[in-house]
Amino acid sequence: MLKFMRKKMVSIYRKDQETLSVHGILDDDIYSLELDLDISVADLEILAINGKWNRWTTPECRRSDQFLQEAVGFRNEEGLSQKVHKIIGRKSCRHYANLLLECWHSAREAALAAQWEEAKAGRPDLTLEAFLAGAPVSRSEVREEKLSPPAEISEKPKPKAKEIEILHEKATGGTLIDLHVHTSPASPCSSAPVDALIEEAKKIGLDGICLTDHNYVWSAAEVENLRRKHSFLVLRGNEITTDQGDMLVFGLDKDIKGIIKLDELREEVKKVGGFMIVAHPFRGFLVVGATQIGLTPEKAMERPLLKSVDAIEILNGKVTERENKFAADVAAGLNLPATGGSDAHEVDEVGQYATQFFQEIKNEEDLVAALKSGNYAPVVYRK
Amino acid sequence: MPETMPRLLCYARSRCTSVEQIDDQTMRSTCRLQDSLTDAVVEILVKLPDLEIIDAQGEFRRTYQDECRTPAEGLKKVIGVRVGPGMLKIIKGLVGEVSECRQLAFMVEECCHGVILAFTKDQLAQAPVEQHQNVEYYRKMIRNNIRLYNRCAAFAPGSSMVEGIEPPTK
Repeated sequence: MLKFMRKKMVSIYRKDQETLSVHGILDDDIYSLELDLDISVADLEILAINGKWNRWTTPECRRSDQFLQEAVGFRNEEGLSQKVHKIIGRKSCRHYANLLLECWHSAREAALAAQWEEAKAGRPDLTLEAFLAGAPVSRSEVREEKLSPPAEISEKPKPKAKEIEILHEKATGGTLIDLHVHTSPASPCSSAPVDALIEEAKKIGLDGICLTDHNYVWSAAEVENLRRKHSFLVLRGNEITTDQGDMLVFGLDKDIKGIIKLDELREEVKKVGGFMIVAHPFRGFLVVGATQIGLTPEKAMERPLLKSVDAIEILNGKVTERENKFAADVAAGLNLPATGGSDAHEVDEVGQYATQFFQEIKNEEDLVAALKSGNYAPVVYRK
Repeated sequence: MPETMPRLLCYARSRCTSVEQIDDQTMRSTCRLQDSLTDAVVEILVKLPDLEIIDAQGEFRRTYQDECRTPAEGLKKVIGVRVGPGMLKIIKGLVGEVSECRQLAFMVEECCHGVILAFTKDQLAQAPVEQHQNVEYYRKMIRNNIRLYNRCAAFAPGSSMVEGIEPPTK
């Protein structure tokens, strides 16, 4: 017997010369909802939208209907999928967003087919393939962000990890650093300007922060300017997305765009003597239902990716306490060093968690050396 | 168009994603697409409990896009990826490296969503029927997974589902 089934249907007719009338249905074991849209043929702009719930999980699901109107005006543009997920998916409902994209992509193809039909009026033998070979791109093609091919990585010395000790305040001496922060505009998902974030970090008593923007290499000169400007320790890192998840990388200057294979990133890091920490390794596992799938720390320890990293981030500000605890159990079981970082995307998130180094750190070389030493502990600082 | 014209469809799409547990360790998720221009199927096998994709196969039987006719190379790329948060970016990036076929990446995503929703269904099946207890069940779910707070309208400030729950960053 099937565990789950989802069916989606989209029906489109030509309301008038310039408008497609689109009806979409999403019906699965959990939800049932519908969308009606008017979409312009010329630029695939959403002219009107209405939604309807047939089956839902919570009595508040239908609150999402009012926010569908934010999709009016969306059109053929780069990054439309992300925009729909961010605006409709978050404010309204992710299932409406899923159905909306299904409807919109169908409308794009319907518009393409309509153009072909119009072109055939003058050339009855024109095939779709031949038409597409010379079809105008702007009316029907959405440019999605193309992620570039993978980049390259090296061998890690694994320091012997201490038993996982989590601190709850700044230690006397040493250096307390938030190892995981995102700034705007370097990270598109962050709304924290770097200057404001640094000032906040100072205000709350951190000794330093690491700028770990997504697939972004800060220039050494720029960061040195920030250090001087704020009289504060600002260090460079990078959060790089691999096929096995996100990695915090320190000591690597190479600009890596797109998704890289973990093994390749490892080689790159090894080549330069850098350090790699797996970020939030169990983010979301509870949402998926880990108890049902039987994921235990012991089983998670068998993940091959954990052989390729130098440390595990066991305190991350964007995951639940249970997910952090799970990561801590895995780190302890594998005797891997453990770190903490806020994963701040807003100014007031900085310092929720941090890493207490028990020696002074003045620059990035000191940081990498300290990370390799294993002489540090994750800290619940601002939580 | 004259009002007397029948409202004939100029385009239709049907997509079906189904998930089955084929043994204790393995789930199979299949996405089938049939529309006016495309006939395709993509299937992934996912290993429990890690939710790692251990196999991915597919076929585009009818398509107007040359780049979709040979999906094997793109599908191979997602083997080893784990179903879970962050997977969409990874899948899009990996498939996009070797294939311009956007539908291919989307079908893999749909398969992965199916797997997640299969587990969501199991959790939701435990929700009480009585309204007050039902609301309490969801509030507890949000407290235990605070990332759900404000993730949609039903869990946004002002909703009874989050009454009494502190927003995560405050």
